[in-house]
Amino acid sequence: MTSASLPAQTTRKSRPAWMTPSTLAVVIPSVLVLAALVVCALFAQWLAPYDPLDQDLIASLQGPSAAHWLGTDDLGRDVLSRLIYGSRIAVIAAVEATSLAVLIGVPIGLFIGYRGGWWDRLTMRLVEAIVSIPGIMVAIVIIAILGTGLHRAMFALGILYSTAFLRLARSVVLTEREEVYAKSARVIGASPTRILVRHIFLNIAPPLIVQVTLTVGAVLLAEAGLSFIGIGVQPPQASWGTMLNTAASYMELNPFLAVPPGLAIVATVLAVNLLGDVLRDSIGRGIRVPAAPSTAPARVRTAPSRPLPPRADDMLRVEGLEVMVSPKGGAEVPVVTDMSFRIARGETLGLVGESGSGKTVTGLALMGLIGAGGRITGGRVTLDGTDLLGLSKAGLEKVRGNDVAMVFQDPTTSLNPAYTVGNQISEVLRVKQGLSRRAAWDRTVELIDRVGIPRATERAQAYPHELSGGMAQRIAIARALSCGPKLLIADEPTTALDVTVQQEILDLFRDLQDEFGMAMLFVTHDLAVAADVCDRIAVMYCGEIVETAPVDDLFANPRHPYTSGLLSAMPHGASGTPPLPVIPGSVPTPGHWPEGCRFAARCPHVTEACAAPVPLSGDARLIRCVRADELVLEAAQ
Amino acid sequence: MSETLLDIKDLRVSYGGRSFLGLRSTGFEAVKGASLSIRAGETLGLVGESGSGKSSIANTLLGLVPAASGTMRFNGTDLAALDTHYPPEVRRNIQAVFQDPYSSLNPSMTVEQIVTEPLKIHTSMSRAERRERAAELLRLVNLPETHLPRFPNEFSGGQRQRIAIAAALALQPKLIVLDEPVSALDVSTQNQIINLLYERRDALGIAYLLIAHDLALVHHISDRIAVMYLGHIVEEGPADRVYHRPAHPYTKALLDAVPLLDPARQRARRAARRAAPASELPRMAEAGCPYRNRCAFAMERCHKDVPTSLDVSGGGTAQCFLVEGGTAGVSGLKEKVTT
Repeated sequence: MTSASLPAQTTRKSRPAWMTPSTLAVVIPSVLVLAALVVCALFAQWLAPYDPLDQDLIASLQGPSAAHWLGTDDLGRDVLSRLIYGSRIAVIAAVEATSLAVLIGVPIGLFIGYRGGWWDRLTMRLVEAIVSIPGIMVAIVIIAILGTGLHRAMFALGILYSTAFLRLARSVVLTEREEVYAKSARVIGASPTRILVRHIFLNIAPPLIVQVTLTVGAVLLAEAGLSFIGIGVQPPQASWGTMLNTAASYMELNPFLAVPPGLAIVATVLAVNLLGDVLRDSIGRGIRVPAAPSTAPARVRTAPSRPLPPRADDMLRVEGLEVMVSPKGGAEVPVVTDMSFRIARGETLGLVGESGSGKTVTGLALMGLIGAGGRITGGRVTLDGTDLLGLSKAGLEKVRGNDVAMVFQDPTTSLNPAYTVGNQISEVLRVKQGLSRRAAWDRTVELIDRVGIPRATERAQAYPHELSGGMAQRIAIARALSCGPKLLIADEPTTALDVTVQQEILDLFRDLQDEFGMAMLFVTHDLAVAADVCDRIAVMYCGEIVETAPVDDLFANPRHPYTSGLLSAMPHGASGTPPLPVIPGSVPTPGHWPEGCRFAARCPHVTEACAAPVPLSGDARLIRCVRADELVLEAAQ
Repeated sequence: MSETLLDIKDLRVSYGGRSFLGLRSTGFEAVKGASLSIRAGETLGLVGESGSGKSSIANTLLGLVPAASGTMRFNGTDLAALDTHYPPEVRRNIQAVFQDPYSSLNPSMTVEQIVTEPLKIHTSMSRAERRERAAELLRLVNLPETHLPRFPNEFSGGQRQRIAIAAALALQPKLIVLDEPVSALDVSTQNQIINLLYERRDALGIAYLLIAHDLALVHHISDRIAVMYLGHIVEEGPADRVYHRPAHPYTKALLDAVPLLDPARQRARRAARRAAPASELPRMAEAGCPYRNRCAFAMERCHKDVPTSLDVSGGGTAQCFLVEGGTAGVSGLKEKVTT
């Protein structure tokens, strides 16, 4: 009943997202080349103007003419006809060798990947031995045993290239078998064979397609190479390789002879590889690609809120910040709009919201750390009087670490595993503060001691993996505070930690702020954590602030329906047995935000006035709701 | 009172242990002699911090990890003796929903394939029957039938978790292991899933083993709660008793560490915490009670003797000397308790 009435998160589009003009420019010529190749191979008898074996020694080594469009070779055979018949060999070669490689490589790879143990070790040593020798040498050895000829050569190539498929299948199985869905399949009682064939094999398709196109290209080149050195297709049969072979012998007399087969090989290999690239990019089933909005709004409609009155103790002021990101192949989508807030010296502002609300993007935007694909399209960010958005790259780099520092969610990944934790802190001090090695180290030990780590001198020598999650987060905090920043941005700093450890880290944040007096922006999804550490809270929903209030007021008397809904949905907020209070539906993804109030579709108090964009309004507290003054909302229990 | 469905006794689970020519090295022991039982249709909440061994119990019960010793009687069969090779009638009766809805659904299978996969393995239903059942299962988790031909990446986290629940319900199992089923979801979606699990349990009479780190959340739908600390089940009892009157000091510490929605009470708690000195001892004590290094109530004998499971007044058991003589444990010590 809840999400049933809602449309699916992503809407089906009539045109796949990858079919942009730039990819079409690659796809169309590639498809045309390959189609021409197949047509030539199938209808060579009718298309070729002459018999490819018909000799005319008088008319040998001629240049292009009306009778022979591409000239004739050393025995007076028509080059165009030989080229057309040669495409037949090319197609046979590609199909034979590639399918053999897939049929040998994939099942063996699947088997040894899943089975492991001796089977795996033995097979892989053999494969490594084959791979360590140049491919063409292996092919020559196999042909030496089997004899020359097209099919034998392709058999050799099939075996050679099967190693690539084997390794591919094995590596996919090794990663996929650890996925939770493989675990689920074991739980429902699927046999190992079934898990391999029904569950894991499906996920090999994307890399397999790419490997197939690469192999087809490689086989065409190898066939030409083997025929060129005379152990592949045997004369007088026409193949592009044998044609090149002939051309090489008569280079002095008729250099043009090498051009047609050469171009044919280059065009075919290029077409196959380019098409493979596009195919790989278009198979995105396993990856969550944000869907481009059906209607591409260059800008969302917002009702700009009143500017915040300036105050003397403002450390950070953010006014009308807007951030856009461009999903792959789609139009720009806003992720943060009309974002305005201020933080005073020594104050903590909590930025609270669910995933996709834009809270992390806001934090990154302040640091100038929005990755490729995103950009700040409007607004002002002022830190202690300095306009951060107007700074040059070098200027911003100077601010980062010195004036603004950040603590991330996962301390085990935000610390570099290759250096001791002491090194990572003292490096910051040396680069940013210009301290000597000695002084930086002393300060480092002091900081480590300050963040509550016992035996600081000894622990400074430890590597991140030697510390528990809580300890590592303390180190990350010490590093962030090393240069005495004016603003500390903490992005879900306790989410990865256990509750008892979380409590200690929150205590630490409080203590350090009392001591260092920095302004703090605390980004979290957990309202209860925000209640613990923040002085004021800004609640975000769909890229905008819906309510800002001092912490006690917010919890005692929420004024926006979303805040109230979140409070009553918290596990400790609700009491007793289910049904627990819920906010119906789910958060719309960026690009699918409603025109007016973005919470309207889930709001129990919705009216007609909610269809128009709503500005943030109020005096002591700011609320983005047209009915803010009349509603009486439920508070936390 | 209904019959016992699952009875785990003295279960030990270890990782990295190798048996070489009869010489055994135990490796890391994640579960150190745990005993639990679940009655038919009952929900047991299993709570603990990371590394407490709660997921190891789940994985052992699901036959993903072998038990080192102990027994796990399910419906009369000792699963521990089967060494992960469960017969089909056991498999179909124990299903699971895992934490991460983004990796627990195969990205290359449609919703219909995911939901009907258990039916294909365990029943002889025809394609049409399976399809009908799949549509019915989606209705059970409040999703429209039109989602059947879609792929998982088209859905939000909450919707994916519904699909995972539908697949777990497919065979009408007697027990579903829920391993942190909502911790990867947004707050506003969590309760939707909790409500759904609660509704289905009452309608279908399924027993749940609900594993989570959040006591408050577990309390909402559990009949009984067990608390784990470093491989030991330190407390077990009726959900309300454990939540409102914890007997073991660790359970109390867990409850006190949960942030509250009340800023004023938070401040009072912080002030009280700061007054108490912090312990620098390792989490794991070498001898005696495993919790004594972090325990504010540790006595002389806690350093020597390991407490066994003792009865608590109000129901359940706790591994703590404070409950000796059937007292209420730490909740009975009114004068020492901080707010």
